[in-house]
Amino acid sequence: MFFKYFKAGAIASTLLFNTVIVSAQENTNATAKQVVEKFQADLISVMKNGKQLGYAGRYSNLQEAVINSHDLPKIARVIVGKEWEKLSEDQQNKLEDLIIRLSIASYAHNFKDYAGESFTYDSEEETTRGGILVHSHLNIPDDKPVKFDYMLKETGASWRIINIIANGVSDLALKRSEYTSILQNEGFDSLVSKIDGKISDYSKL
Amino acid sequence: MNKQQQCNGANDKIKLVTPLLLLSILSLYGCATIKTAQPQKEDPYENFNRSMFKFNNNVDGYVAKPISDGYKYVTPQFLQTGVYNFYNNLKNVNIVINDALQAKFSQGAQDTGRLALNSTLGLAGIFDVAKSVGWEQNDEDFDQTLAVWGVPAGSYLVLPVMGPSTFRGIPGAAFDTATNPSTYVGTAVNIVSMINTRANAEGSLKFINEAALDPYVFTRESFLQWRNNLATDGKSQSSYDLDLDDEFESLPADGKKKPADQTAIQINPVK
Repeated sequence: MFFKYFKAGAIASTLLFNTVIVSAQENTNATAKQVVEKFQADLISVMKNGKQLGYAGRYSNLQEAVINSHDLPKIARVIVGKEWEKLSEDQQNKLEDLIIRLSIASYAHNFKDYAGESFTYDSEEETTRGGILVHSHLNIPDDKPVKFDYMLKETGASWRIINIIANGVSDLALKRSEYTSILQNEGFDSLVSKIDGKISDYSKL
Repeated sequence: MNKQQQCNGANDKIKLVTPLLLLSILSLYGCATIKTAQPQKEDPYENFNRSMFKFNNNVDGYVAKPISDGYKYVTPQFLQTGVYNFYNNLKNVNIVINDALQAKFSQGAQDTGRLALNSTLGLAGIFDVAKSVGWEQNDEDFDQTLAVWGVPAGSYLVLPVMGPSTFRGIPGAAFDTATNPSTYVGTAVNIVSMINTRANAEGSLKFINEAALDPYVFTRESFLQWRNNLATDGKSQSSYDLDLDDEFESLPADGKKKPADQTAIQINPVK
């Protein structure tokens, strides 16, 4: 279903590309906090309509939001660590494409419904390496809030998310350990096959 | 969506986004057997740990999960919540002790109040009254106390049935077991406690199964990060700012290899 959706989506790729460019321009000069808050608002909006949208609808709605707020090419590079340099250009492109699709798919799968959740901005701080860490938390009715920290780096004229830390667990560090382990032990083809499998599973679960 | 469904949805959500909350107790997921190359420095016993991880997965699949599923099937949600609250309240005894050992006196006072309130007005802890007045439960244990005292975590270990730990976590778990009142109530109570724990871990385990490409590595990394975050009260941010730009200085800005780069390598042979 997911791949069928993607074939259909390919027809509209030009439209999407143009939309992304327009939105990216809108994001130009946005502060790190604004980028995070826009993304969180998009996420909550999709959650509120999650059931009606279905997986394909959530994926479609989140595609622009994720691409415009995350530096996915850089994320793809960082999560395979030094293994990146050992990959051919074709493999690097393939991995980038998979990471983009996997990121959107996991959001579309995990944020599928709404039960009164909301995000609250807490603070932000500059890091020693020129990034900005935006601290926020997700309020969940009748439950403990979950801390969400976003690490952003300046990409061109805009700030982009390169890491999300939920209650102290860094998504980037987690993925980096996993992906480098698979690359070293099983090879590139196995990594591609596993990511493809996850994307496919997300569309069915 | 009724209130109960909303609560369940919220609970599921927190379990989805924080799959780590119960990993200290159980890591009952297996992984595909893969060849391990060089063990990571924090995981020198990776081969043993992977075997134990697989063993725990089998124990879960054949024993713990069927029992837990049966428990959830026959037990109404309000009763499950009451059982969870009861054991969670007993855990406050550990928390108060470790507050004191870490010299967190203000937090210790609140946790003591929490224990007293839930044990009385909350009918022996069945109702979490303290939460409704804004006293969220803190998370302290003896492993964190040892960390505060400067004891290093040591290598990562997967223990039979118990799941992920570290060398420091073993005395930590022993101390916490000794200071938890439920330990002395009887075997039947302990079995209910274990079933309840497994039932509450369902969301976390489901998340791992869905998200992990290599469940062993996923569990290890999330466990170690989560424990480090708890031990430092969220002050350690070492894994937040991963940036390999330094390692990519030789590459173009987009990080991609270009044919010219490959050529350059080819025409610079060898001395």
